[in-house]
Amino acid sequence: MRREKLGVVLALTALLAAACGTSGGGTPTTGAAIVFGAAVSLTGAQSKEGGLTKQGYDLWLDWINQRGGIVVNGVKHPVEIKYEDDQSTPNLSATLVQKLITDEKAQFILGPYGSAATATDAIVAEKNGVPMVEANGAAQSIFSKGYKFTFGVLSPANKYLTGVLDMAATLSPKPTTIAMLTANDNFSVEVAKAVEDYAPTKGFQVIFTKQYPAAAPEVSGLISQAARLNPDIVMNSGHLAESIAINKGAKQLGLNAKIFAYSVGPSTPDFIKALGPDANYVFDGSQWTPQVKYKPSFYLSVGEYVKAYKTKYSTTDDPDYHVAESTAACLAFQKAIENAGSLDATKVRDALAGLDVMTFFGQIKFDSRGINTFKPMVVEQIQNGAHYTVFPANVANGKPQYPTPSWSSR
Amino acid sequence: MSQFTQQVILGLLLGGVYVAVALGFSLVWGILNIVNLAHGALVIVGSYITWDLFTRWHIDPFLSLPIDALVLFVIGYALQRGVINRVIRAPLLFTFLLTFGINLIIVSLLLLIFTADFRSVTPSYSGNGLHLGSVTIPYIRFGGLVVAFLLAGALWAILNRTRIGAAILAVGADRDAAQLVGIDLRHMYALTFGIGAAFAGVAGGIISTFQSITPTAGDPYTLQAFAVVILGGLGRVSATVLGGLTFGLIEILGQSAPGLGSGYANAIAFVVLVIVLVVRPRGLLGRLA
Repeated sequence: MRREKLGVVLALTALLAAACGTSGGGTPTTGAAIVFGAAVSLTGAQSKEGGLTKQGYDLWLDWINQRGGIVVNGVKHPVEIKYEDDQSTPNLSATLVQKLITDEKAQFILGPYGSAATATDAIVAEKNGVPMVEANGAAQSIFSKGYKFTFGVLSPANKYLTGVLDMAATLSPKPTTIAMLTANDNFSVEVAKAVEDYAPTKGFQVIFTKQYPAAAPEVSGLISQAARLNPDIVMNSGHLAESIAINKGAKQLGLNAKIFAYSVGPSTPDFIKALGPDANYVFDGSQWTPQVKYKPSFYLSVGEYVKAYKTKYSTTDDPDYHVAESTAACLAFQKAIENAGSLDATKVRDALAGLDVMTFFGQIKFDSRGINTFKPMVVEQIQNGAHYTVFPANVANGKPQYPTPSWSSR
Repeated sequence: MSQFTQQVILGLLLGGVYVAVALGFSLVWGILNIVNLAHGALVIVGSYITWDLFTRWHIDPFLSLPIDALVLFVIGYALQRGVINRVIRAPLLFTFLLTFGINLIIVSLLLLIFTADFRSVTPSYSGNGLHLGSVTIPYIRFGGLVVAFLLAGALWAILNRTRIGAAILAVGADRDAAQLVGIDLRHMYALTFGIGAAFAGVAGGIISTFQSITPTAGDPYTLQAFAVVILGGLGRVSATVLGGLTFGLIEILGQSAPGLGSGYANAIAFVVLVIVLVVRPRGLLGRLA
């Protein structure tokens, strides 16, 4: 009796599948919603960056749902993103990701903001066997633990400022000395270490390097020390608040360098708004700029993306790279799910590992650790209150303004 | 040597900011026996007022300080009279909880109104400074120090030279006795808290000129105010001034201590704090309890 019932059910299922198959040739039918989970910082110290991350995710969400969803084997699955607020606390982030997976039935995880939170979330994703694509944790240490379910679409931390050195090596008269101010968090230290290792190979000398506590932007003592050494290049590996404080301090204390380059900060509109004309000439390494010239194989072109952002958020500001990389994480998931032809966690994970696509954000392809080492960083400079991409030359829309004039002659 | 002089000057200038931040905190703690965990948030409200006036009407940040003081006084007076007064005689833990909650509410309101964007006030003279040989004194920070001393002087004068000040001190000394001689306790409480908030607002105005502000930027200032008051001692204006300047000096000199990263600056500051507490439990200049 049982067997018979099972047989009937099987036959019906087969019929249903066949029916779907035939109709799927033209317009795909609609399947169950795919649930993504994301714990981002909506309040607390990183609410700005967390907000940008959410903007990036939502931009893709609108786009994909306008098209009916992600196509899996001819069936369109609409997409849902469940958000939790980690209050800028990395430990809380991990708890929330677990909650998203068990309570809210999230099938896939989109990363949080920041390397610290990403590192804790990666553990949860791994433990549950749920794939996570993250867009805002650049510290390589996240990927050194041998995790199989975490992928990062952004270039790793060690590339943030080395591009500035590559650019500086092409300038004349060539700068030679570097002063480095570093926040003492994982990500910033990795950025700084890469600079210290890379600088000698390009003929630069690091003459001053000091760490300060992250999120305590009182750095006037360090700036006055650096100013005495007259470095050609002043670099900061830290965060937005500190980059603003350092730039203000450099002016107040007469620290004149030929190049000011900060890892994080200048690429956001806030930097220019907060500093006005004093923001000019500052360089930064950026994951992405609205000026890059990539030729995407799907989703929007760079120009269309910028326009879609401005329309959705009714703003005149360009999207900064935090937004773009967050969207890129969604694109990686979309393509991997399509390639896998399945919503099975392990199959999608394997498809992510084998992914190689060109997007508006650049190439997305992961090395064996899960890091996107294939996309280059670009160098931006603020010129007359606007961002210009100045290096590498093949994606640039401006030339570096060099050397930076002294504060008194601006 | 000039390097050392420069560091000392920067330390004193930073100390000035700490003095400004801690004055109001110390007053409220000393008189009302409330450790106001929302103090940093009130500081940032002052920052936003200065920022708003500067971006909207180009009002010089130093000219907007009296406006900060006035607005924050009203907010502080109302907060105390309407909310905090209800737990004024409750155990310390209740006032902790309440001011912690007020802090969350203010920060969230600021997030709603101003978003989490980083703001900063950058007037045209913000980068200028007085150059004495190889030593630089940035005007803005110097202005901050002057304002801090003016605030300290004003607070001292209010407390020691006016009837209101005498009443405030009386309330601090003995509530019940003060009430017996006809002092309106509720008014005095609110007045004290209002003055404390007003001073916080002025400190916030100064801070907006050399640091970037966000709704959450105030939390470290609550902690610093706490440390300054512990270091200097409770119950005297001069103690807060000494505590603030010392704390600033330690922080900057700690940044340049040879062989140490400035990551240790805070650790050094708090080690000094612990030593002071062990050697002089009432702080450097604290009164007998």
